[in-house]
Amino acid sequence: MMRCALLVLLGLLVSLGAQPAEARRNRRVWSGLVMASNRPHPMPAAPRPMHQLHATLQRTFGYNQFEVIGQSHRILRNGQGDWLAASKHFSLHVDTRGVTRDGYRVHLKLYQDRQILLETDATLSQSSPLVIRGPQVGSGQLLLLLVAQ
Amino acid sequence: MKTFEEKWTAWVDGRLSETERTEFEATLADRAAAEAEKLEVQKLGALLREELQPLPMGNEEFFHHQLRTRIAAEARSPVAEGRPGLRESWWTIRRLVWTGLTSLAIFALCTFFVLREEPASDQSQYLTQILNAKVDPSISPYATVSIFQTKQDRVTVLWVDGLKSLPADYAAK
Repeated sequence: MMRCALLVLLGLLVSLGAQPAEARRNRRVWSGLVMASNRPHPMPAAPRPMHQLHATLQRTFGYNQFEVIGQSHRILRNGQGDWLAASKHFSLHVDTRGVTRDGYRVHLKLYQDRQILLETDATLSQSSPLVIRGPQVGSGQLLLLLVAQ
Repeated sequence: MKTFEEKWTAWVDGRLSETERTEFEATLADRAAAEAEKLEVQKLGALLREELQPLPMGNEEFFHHQLRTRIAAEARSPVAEGRPGLRESWWTIRRLVWTGLTSLAIFALCTFFVLREEPASDQSQYLTQILNAKVDPSISPYATVSIFQTKQDRVTVLWVDGLKSLPADYAAK
C-alpha cells in the first residue's frame, strides 16, 4: 500500500513538472492581417486581440478603422513551420525556433502572393504584441499583428 | 643488576642483606650525609603513617544497603537480561514512513499551485523583440526598417517604410 502511495505521488510530481514545460514549448498565437484606414463612420474592431489593441493602433498609426482581412489561431510547435494569417493576396509564414527565457523565437515571412515582402526574426513574448507596418494598400495601410496568448 | 636508586630505596627501608648493605655503604661518597638523609626519610615515613590513617565510616550500614539496592536494580535491567538496550522512541518505522509521505504530498500540492501561477508572472516581464528584419531590395529598393516599443502598452512595432504601394483590391479578404 505504501509503495502504491509513493508511486502515485511520484507520478503526480512528474506530471506537474511536465505540464507547464509542455505548455511553454507549445504556445497559442493569434495573428491577423489588418487593413487600417480612415473612415467617417469607423466600424468597431471585431476580434478580441484587436479590440485590446485598438487604441494603441489608432495612436501609433493615425487610422480610425482596423479591418481584419485574415486571421488565425495556431498553436506553434517547436521546430515546425506553419502558415498563419492569410488573405487573398497576403500570407504570413512562421518557423518556430524554440523557447528562450524571454519568449518564443520565430522567423516570420510576409508574402505578397508568391513574393516575400519582408522577413524578420523575433522573440515573441506573452502579453507583448508585435505589430508590423506593411505596404500602403489603396488609401489604407496593411498591418500585421501577432499576439502570443 | 639493581640500579643505584633501587639499592638506595632498599637501604633506606632496611631491606638489604648484610653483605649488600656493606657493599652499598662502601660505594657512598659521603656516608654521614647519607645516614642523615636516611633518618629524615624514615621520620617522614613515620609521620605519614601516623597522619594518613583511613577515616572511619560513620554510616557504614546505610552505605552498604544503598550499594546492594543499586546492584539489585541493575540486575533487573534489560541489559542484564540479555535484551538489546534500545530506548523506546515515538518515531517508529511506520510513523517515519507516513510522515515522509505526508511531507511529499504537501510538497506536491505546493509545487502544483506555484507552477500554476508561474507562467503569468514569468511572461509578463519581457517585451517582444525584433532581432533582425530585411526587405527584398529587388522588390522594394528604397525600403527602410525601424523598430520601437510602446512600453505603456507593451507593443513592439516594426515600422517598414518605402514598400511599393499597392492598389485597393489588395485589401480583399
